[in-house]
Amino acid sequence: MRPLALDLGLAAGAGLVLVADLFTAPQQKRLLGQLSVAILVLLFVASFFLDTTGAAFSGAYVGGPWVLFFKRAALAAGALALLGGLEHVAERWPHRQGEYALMVLSSVLGMTLLPGARDLIFLIVAFELMGVPLYVLATFGKDDSGRHSAEAGLKLYVVGAASTAITLFGLSLVVGLAGTTRLAGIATLPLSPLLGVGMMLLVAGMGFKLGVAPFHMWVPDTYQGASTPFVSFLSVAPKASGLAALVVVFSVGLSAHRATWLPVLVTLSALTLLVGNLLAIPQPNVKRLLAFSGVAQMGYLLMGLAAGTTEGIGMTLFYAATYIPTNLGVFLVVHAVTRADSVDPKDEGDAERTVSTFDGLARRSPWLAMAFLLFLLSLAGIPFVAGFWAQLYVFMAAWKVGLGWLVVLGAVLATVALYYYLGLARAAYVNPPKRSSGLAVDPALAFAIVVCLLAVVLIGVWPRPLLDAAMRAAAAAF
Amino acid sequence: MGHLLSLIVLAPMLAAVALLVVREEQRLLTRVVALAGAVASLIGSLVVAFVWDRAKGGLQLAEVYPLVPSLGIALRLAVDGWGVSLLLLTGIIITTGVLASWTVKEREKEFFILLLVLVAGVYGVFVSQDLFVFFLFYEIAVLPMYLLIAIWGSSNAVADAGPFKFVWKAFQIGGREYAAMKLTLMLLIGSAFILVAILAMYQQGGSTFDMGVLGAVKYAPAMQKWVFPLVWIGFGTLAGVFPFHTWSPDGHASAPTAVSMLHAGVLMKLGAFGVMRIGMMMLPDGALAWAPIVGTVAVVNVVYGAMSAMSQKDLKYIIAYSSVSHMGVVMLGAATLTVNGWNGAVYQMFAHGIMTGLFFALVGLVYEKAHTRAVPSMGGFGTVMPGVAAFFTIACLSSLGLPGTAGFVSELLVIFGAWQSAHAWWAIPGVLGAFITALYVLKVTRDIFWGPGPSEHFHDLGDAKRTEWAALWVLGAAIIVFGVWPRLLLDVIDIATGENLGALR
Repeated sequence: MRPLALDLGLAAGAGLVLVADLFTAPQQKRLLGQLSVAILVLLFVASFFLDTTGAAFSGAYVGGPWVLFFKRAALAAGALALLGGLEHVAERWPHRQGEYALMVLSSVLGMTLLPGARDLIFLIVAFELMGVPLYVLATFGKDDSGRHSAEAGLKLYVVGAASTAITLFGLSLVVGLAGTTRLAGIATLPLSPLLGVGMMLLVAGMGFKLGVAPFHMWVPDTYQGASTPFVSFLSVAPKASGLAALVVVFSVGLSAHRATWLPVLVTLSALTLLVGNLLAIPQPNVKRLLAFSGVAQMGYLLMGLAAGTTEGIGMTLFYAATYIPTNLGVFLVVHAVTRADSVDPKDEGDAERTVSTFDGLARRSPWLAMAFLLFLLSLAGIPFVAGFWAQLYVFMAAWKVGLGWLVVLGAVLATVALYYYLGLARAAYVNPPKRSSGLAVDPALAFAIVVCLLAVVLIGVWPRPLLDAAMRAAAAAF
Repeated sequence: MGHLLSLIVLAPMLAAVALLVVREEQRLLTRVVALAGAVASLIGSLVVAFVWDRAKGGLQLAEVYPLVPSLGIALRLAVDGWGVSLLLLTGIIITTGVLASWTVKEREKEFFILLLVLVAGVYGVFVSQDLFVFFLFYEIAVLPMYLLIAIWGSSNAVADAGPFKFVWKAFQIGGREYAAMKLTLMLLIGSAFILVAILAMYQQGGSTFDMGVLGAVKYAPAMQKWVFPLVWIGFGTLAGVFPFHTWSPDGHASAPTAVSMLHAGVLMKLGAFGVMRIGMMMLPDGALAWAPIVGTVAVVNVVYGAMSAMSQKDLKYIIAYSSVSHMGVVMLGAATLTVNGWNGAVYQMFAHGIMTGLFFALVGLVYEKAHTRAVPSMGGFGTVMPGVAAFFTIACLSSLGLPGTAGFVSELLVIFGAWQSAHAWWAIPGVLGAFITALYVLKVTRDIFWGPGPSEHFHDLGDAKRTEWAALWVLGAAIIVFGVWPRLLLDVIDIATGENLGALR
């Protein structure tokens, strides 16, 4: 069970939180969240010391650098998002802190298991283990923030369930043709119309999870309605895992038929870039704007994958890894401002925040504004923050296989993206503050933001270690 | 001397980081730290100019730090003769720019931080010998501009007129936020073109970004013919090439003094430098094929910019359009592909940088005291601000190319170059541009400074003060010194031109 050491540790940790929840006095529930963060951090650190190579379940699961890369990403994202929301959850749902932490841990468990799957049943179970807790988390705020949270949860659930059904249907066709659920078994399938249908269904199902256009409709509604610390998690971690699933099924399993599915990915990438970037422009609501920007980011992510090379996968992994601290950080800053302003009785509420929420942020809290600016610049792909390298690397990967037009499209749309990111930056730096009060940020949230910021800046200045790790991971995927 | 170039780039960066911990209330300390960063880099540039071995030529003071070896990216720094002169220009402009913005009133700390980050990017571009790092610094140099203009820019004067009044109102054309966004987006679309060109060169040049290696690669002529225009448009946008210059008048007119100085004085040169260094030198066949168009468009720049300047009423717009015209001279020199033309182009970068820096510093002073930029409402300021008037006249004389000023040397060289080139007719509009320039700069000087004393409306006018004098003297002296003794810099430029043009043939 050596390759699964971390996952077993996580499962044990989740069990511990579940049991501890039963025996914790209501006023001490805060400990559960802290315990969960500690578990995630501990496992993250342990991932650097434990040897998790090898196979388990007679080859249904294979460990190695590829899996480890995603495990670390998921653990880090879970820890940061949980840490950032610690106070918020304790305040809003004091009795349900244990549940909240448990759901996050379960979802992370699904994410750590998924990339190692070499069996389709294993894959889909891990995929659902990741997805189902997210539905619960999305509806957490239904009793206090009104209809938006219920809508968010329901949309995520219905779309999620539908996409699972589509994925399963696609898988059933593939498995039916191959007669085995093993990835190695489907690799040798000859191309047939039925397999083609199966592959298209799989792309659609996973596209829903990733929020790739035209399957992105749920993204803005869910982001808007769900509680912001949760959205910070939802907007990054499942994306990385969705990417892992795509690579496992297509690049590893169905690599013989790349001539069929690569053009589909290329088209989806271009479409996602267009839809995400263009629809983000008119959004007055911050969370919806960031949701569409997140859709656009998936377009860049797919671009690396659409290159179809191992190098392209490596660049995509790098992209996903930099996207985690960047987008998580952005949403945590949104959360910090939201929380500070929510004491105001005239406050418009979590789901109704417009860009003007950030008016004069630079004067209310210079550090928070700087963090916000750097995260936005990273999303826009500006040098010396992580996003620049990420965007450049996927461009390079796509260029090398002759997708020049896609690179041009991406580069031009990056300028469009800069327009709306600068709109947010303008509110923070140029506009006068709407509220004169300063901004109090609780220590846990501040710490989470600082960690994200450090990651974004350090990767931006010195991308090499992460790039090397991503390349090693990509090479180990096969 | 081993790390001289990286120190020049780092000095402003370090000053910016140091400013982060300075408290907002420590206003003097903020300025002193910013000035220290600027002066340190200027001293570094001066040292470079002295230690750069004229007998040896070529790229000197090389430094290499591997960044991403697997992709062939490294921080390769080195300067040739062109780089030496442009480093010097940047040092002079940033130092005087900090001195000229001594009186910035709000959010000084952030202002100086952004200014220093920007200038670090500019230095980086001039010293990098790695295509990728070149691009990286280029982006750094462009982006802080958005906040600098949007926050500290001059008032939101929306000049609504004509049948399209409603469009002007809707987009707040002429306002600083409009100008800032326009500038940033136009320049970044330009950089998207550059990125595509760089990727193409990287791909076909053997997967390295080393400009030395890529420069030696003989790209297929067909490829060069489509990559060169990308580089030309990309960098040309920043150089103010017609019709991609429209960000420049709006941007320069709206920007605060130091930013206008830096942007018109140095950043536009960065665009021209990019066209010459990357476009013409690394894609010689493309440059030869496109030179007729590049030169003809440059000629349009010269004349159109000058005529636009003539019809402006706003002092800052006049200077901004004159920059468009003068950058046309640079591009014309580059397009001639002759020794004289290239020497003139680089010398014009230097001369125009100093001159326009002085102009914007003076315009800032006038605006600060008179609270207006409308030329028709001014008059007779010379009696109350004699120093400002004198320096403005010097800048004007250099602008129209009077012998004895730096502007004369460069314009003469460029016109010579144009005459010797395959398109001798370029010289005619070149001279015409200088003539129109003479018309409008002399008119502006007369309208503002000379004539009977100012109306009662301008009761609180005064001459320059303290640090402002320093800025004016440095820039004014540079115009004269480099006009009277051009060899001081021309020798160095000439060495590099000889080598670079030799590589092109």
